[in-house]
Amino acid sequence: MKKILLACAGGFSTSMLVERMKEAARAQSIEVVIDAVAESDIAAQAPFNIIMLGPQMGHAEAELAEAYPQIPVTTIDMSDYGMMDGEKVLATALELMEKGVK
Amino acid sequence: MAGGSEWRGKIQKFSNKIQKNIYISSISNGLMALMPILILGAIFSLINALRIEAYQNFLTNTGLKALTSMPMTVTTDLIAIYATFSIAYNFATQKKQQGFSAGILALMGFFLVTPKGVLEDGATAALGYSWLGAKGLFVAIIIALIVGTVYNFVLEKKLYIKMPKGVPPTVEKSFAALTPGFLIAILLLIIAAIFRATPYENMHEFVFNIIQTPLTSLGGSWWAMLICVFVIHLLWFFGVHGTLVVYSVVGPIWVTLGLENLEAYQQGLEGTNIVGSPFFPVYVLVGGAGATLGLVISMLFAKSKRYKTLGRLAIIPSFIGVNEPVIFGLPLVLNLRLMIPFIVTPIITSGLAILLTAIDILPVLNGVQVPLGIPIIFNGWMTGGWRVGLFQILLIAISIAMYYPFFKKADAEALVEEQAVESKEQAVQAQA
Repeated sequence: MKKILLACAGGFSTSMLVERMKEAARAQSIEVVIDAVAESDIAAQAPFNIIMLGPQMGHAEAELAEAYPQIPVTTIDMSDYGMMDGEKVLATALELMEKGVK
Repeated sequence: MAGGSEWRGKIQKFSNKIQKNIYISSISNGLMALMPILILGAIFSLINALRIEAYQNFLTNTGLKALTSMPMTVTTDLIAIYATFSIAYNFATQKKQQGFSAGILALMGFFLVTPKGVLEDGATAALGYSWLGAKGLFVAIIIALIVGTVYNFVLEKKLYIKMPKGVPPTVEKSFAALTPGFLIAILLLIIAAIFRATPYENMHEFVFNIIQTPLTSLGGSWWAMLICVFVIHLLWFFGVHGTLVVYSVVGPIWVTLGLENLEAYQQGLEGTNIVGSPFFPVYVLVGGAGATLGLVISMLFAKSKRYKTLGRLAIIPSFIGVNEPVIFGLPLVLNLRLMIPFIVTPIITSGLAILLTAIDILPVLNGVQVPLGIPIIFNGWMTGGWRVGLFQILLIAISIAMYYPFFKKADAEALVEEQAVESKEQAVQAQA
């Protein structure tokens, strides 16, 4: 099963979003593992298929993309994040994993 | 905001440079990993030193006091030991080396430079507590970074003895593991010898007087705190986690100051450091960065649907200081209209707290590291008693007063927009 990893500073606010994404996944009966961690704990979570950063951690994106060249690394859209739009973020994640890394 | 996103990019790059600097990040991640130990020690020190006479008598009479005072002596009182291992471990793993080996070598290094003595009976060897707690924290950091650097250097450059062909590879491996240990031991012996020759007699005395004390009194000053609060919110305004970036630099100082207060509290005294680790969550994060609790409360009474929905979404996490929904959903990032209350409110709340503590209306916070998830008012009560809890209610009122006038305008505009969309829809329906 694919694993979507969300990361922010302490994993607190992303964990709120993860709950909403799980709801959205259940509603659409999509089988996927979604988890939230602190940005400094990402490495311990391997393997995962995509890293999605909270916008406040956007400054770490370039470096993580370098460290994980084989999977998509992205920063969640600010307003999707703020409104905790689980459905939309899930859709973005699935789309990016589908596309893979260029 | 014109050019806002361009600025955002630059600030993100800059923040990344600071936060991802190997030295800074190993210190802050290393200390962060000690949170369970710090929180444990703090909670037990509350249980042990809670100032209610009947309760204290009960503890003493039942003999429980000997037990309740114990956790603190093995957690915060020994924090320098934990920190040495944790920081060196973090440094090495970031360099993709064996964290555990670096950690234990750093421990050896720390004990090498720490003065040892003999008890009064003249026979029992002893390692005093004095340099193992907050007072030894800077030496712990320095040793951990030196050991981490040397350890990584030796292994990266393969500076160990290579065996001739035919010798089993495992033998070479075990030599490779020994070499950094020997080099580190020799290096630290030299360091210990140098400090022995100075009037300070040991590294701890020197670092404490020449580095730790000046740095902590600088970092603990009221103006340094206000500058930090300002920079943190300026970074947040550009969408960067300002708290994290600034904390990675000043964190060690705040933790040290907080631990000093906790030590005093444990002895039944009041600490002297107005600014310390609990200051920020208690007086600045009134509902999260930007002291936005007042804004979120205003949003609950918004006329526009948009803000009302967001307010309901954000209110509960706001009480525990998590406010990303507001920061990014409203948004507050690059929002010029709300920039003034966003940056000024936390400066007012922290400035007022410093002032009132200085004139003894508020107590100095006891240094208890409050776990995230303890709501506002309770966290104040835990670190400073009912006066601080009460003061936080005042801070919430200040936050409402600061944000409401600015928010009212934004809400009115959102309402007009929503009505315009609605009447358009109605018009379309009427035509159909």
